[in-house]
Amino acid sequence: MIDVRGLEKNFGTATAPIMAVDGVTFTAASGAITGLLGPNGAGKTTVIRMIGSLIEIGGGSASVDGIDVARDPNAVRSVCGILTDARGLYTRLTARENIRYYAELHGIDVQKSEATINRFVDWLDMKDIIDRRTEGFSQGERMKVAIVRALVHEPSTVILDEPTNGLDVMTTRALRELIKRLKAEGRTVMFSSHIMQEVAALCDEIVIIAKGRVTAQGTTEQLLAESGKANLEDAFVKLAGIDADFSESNGAKAA
Amino acid sequence: MAISKLNTILTVAKKEFKDHLRDRRTTLMILLLSVAMGPIMLLGLGYFISTMEQKVEKRELFVLGAAHGPEVINFMLRQDITIKEPKPDYRDLIKQGKHDPVLVIPADFSAKFLTGDARVELVYDDTRQDAGNASIRMLRNVMRGFNTEVGNQRLIARGVSSAVFRAVEVQDTNLGTAAQRAAGLLFIIPWITLIGCVTGCMSMAVDLAAGERERGSLEPLLMSPIAREALVLGKALAVSIYAIGIALITLLGFAMTLKFGNLPGIASVISLSGAQYLGFFVMILSFAPAMAVMQMLLATYGRNFKEGQTYATYAIQLVAILPVVAILAQVKDATWQLLVPVMAQLMVMTRILRGESVEAIHFLLPAAMNVAIFTIAVILISRLLRQEKIIFGRA
Repeated sequence: MIDVRGLEKNFGTATAPIMAVDGVTFTAASGAITGLLGPNGAGKTTVIRMIGSLIEIGGGSASVDGIDVARDPNAVRSVCGILTDARGLYTRLTARENIRYYAELHGIDVQKSEATINRFVDWLDMKDIIDRRTEGFSQGERMKVAIVRALVHEPSTVILDEPTNGLDVMTTRALRELIKRLKAEGRTVMFSSHIMQEVAALCDEIVIIAKGRVTAQGTTEQLLAESGKANLEDAFVKLAGIDADFSESNGAKAA
Repeated sequence: MAISKLNTILTVAKKEFKDHLRDRRTTLMILLLSVAMGPIMLLGLGYFISTMEQKVEKRELFVLGAAHGPEVINFMLRQDITIKEPKPDYRDLIKQGKHDPVLVIPADFSAKFLTGDARVELVYDDTRQDAGNASIRMLRNVMRGFNTEVGNQRLIARGVSSAVFRAVEVQDTNLGTAAQRAAGLLFIIPWITLIGCVTGCMSMAVDLAAGERERGSLEPLLMSPIAREALVLGKALAVSIYAIGIALITLLGFAMTLKFGNLPGIASVISLSGAQYLGFFVMILSFAPAMAVMQMLLATYGRNFKEGQTYATYAIQLVAILPVVAILAQVKDATWQLLVPVMAQLMVMTRILRGESVEAIHFLLPAAMNVAIFTIAVILISRLLRQEKIIFGRA
């Protein structure tokens, strides 16, 4: 379970603040898929980086499975599998060696990690690439390796930052299947996206973030009802406050 | 916790080593260059030393107008010196470094010699640092000898003892051995070894620091549950072993060349024992890791591989330039030098090379300094890896 309370991050200074995240509060339950939905620059990635302790928490708190991120970042990292948009691989190593390196860093013994790797190879259809050097891998292939690398320690919580960005239909489909399987195994799954349809198709709970704030939260049906719109995209645009921006800038142009 | 940290360090080091060695082309290139460094430098040095020796042994001097000064020529011939006629355009050739110094005897020498105001001219170019210097020295000595002899004869002819003229008798006793004279140049062995080990490990040091971020693998790495210090130490270990290995190979190149190369000039003046090589190795053992991690630190500031490489190049320039500065400033061996990396290694290794006394402090002080540099660099890199602008590469 992920519990985020009043999370803040200021990328500016105290006198001239640039609040990337401004009091975000939400919960992502175990055995469920939570979607972090928001336009580009809404603060989704910053929230995820704070949970992974890649950047310091500016204010508020975050915990995973009851472990406070600020207090014990490494314990949180042990129970989390986080995939950010930095998906670089070591091109001189094979896909398996890339993944095994992370298994070793997590202190998992070889036999156990091999079993895990083979299971994911099956799920993501990676038999042809797993023992090849990753030099020249396609974006989809790199993505698959990066995801197995993030999950090789069998984390209870999986956080994926815009995982389908730049992927073709087949890889996206394989990824969706994987997310469902992870949920079925009882893990907490949270992923961010700016695509409403994708989030609606997979998520049990949706958290809409815009300009560093949570603007709405609930199931697809609840969000539709709250927005008073019939269609998901319109609901997202309204709840994220994008329509207001849009008419404002249009108005400015007209004037 | 301690064991898990050690495991992390070893895991990281093992991976980095495997990863880097798979870059066959770079590795092969560095290995070849390191091995070749010794033979190439020694070949050049050997040629230099042997031509210097030959000139001294040959006792040949160039004299223009030998016929005008039979007094001088006879004196030279008595000293077993062979007189040679210089080439017509010797002045230009000397400027180009293609001709040895020339003694010019003017046509009116004999007539003026009798009246006591004879003059000869010594033509050379002192901006040329080559074996011609030996010729100049010989020419000066010969003329001094000639002056003394003629002066003595004239005093005796007037009934005055030559001792009156000489208040103090000066006798030359040169304690410098041929080996020491050669060692003056053989500092090139430690110098090249030091430069080689710093240059050789640069690509790896930069790759481990700036390269990790450039390829987007730093972020996931930092989100694995490992201590930053363990990660940095693992990388430092890998690059240190690599740097030591390169230095060893360079030394091996020198050793093989000295032992089997049969180089003219070198073999006669220098031969190193196992203990001397061991001394070199001990000096490098702490120097190589310190320099490797320094380069990692510099490269960590770089936003990408190229920038990292630019910064790391400064470390190499330091190694290359410091000894030159020391030589130009004619720095004498002193304790403070032991605290300055590069200068310390160069000083102690040159002492070893010259067969001079080397004490425990010569090893301990530089080693302590290197351990300090290594430790501080590891701590600084670990700290940098906590900074957001370093992790994400923002300016």
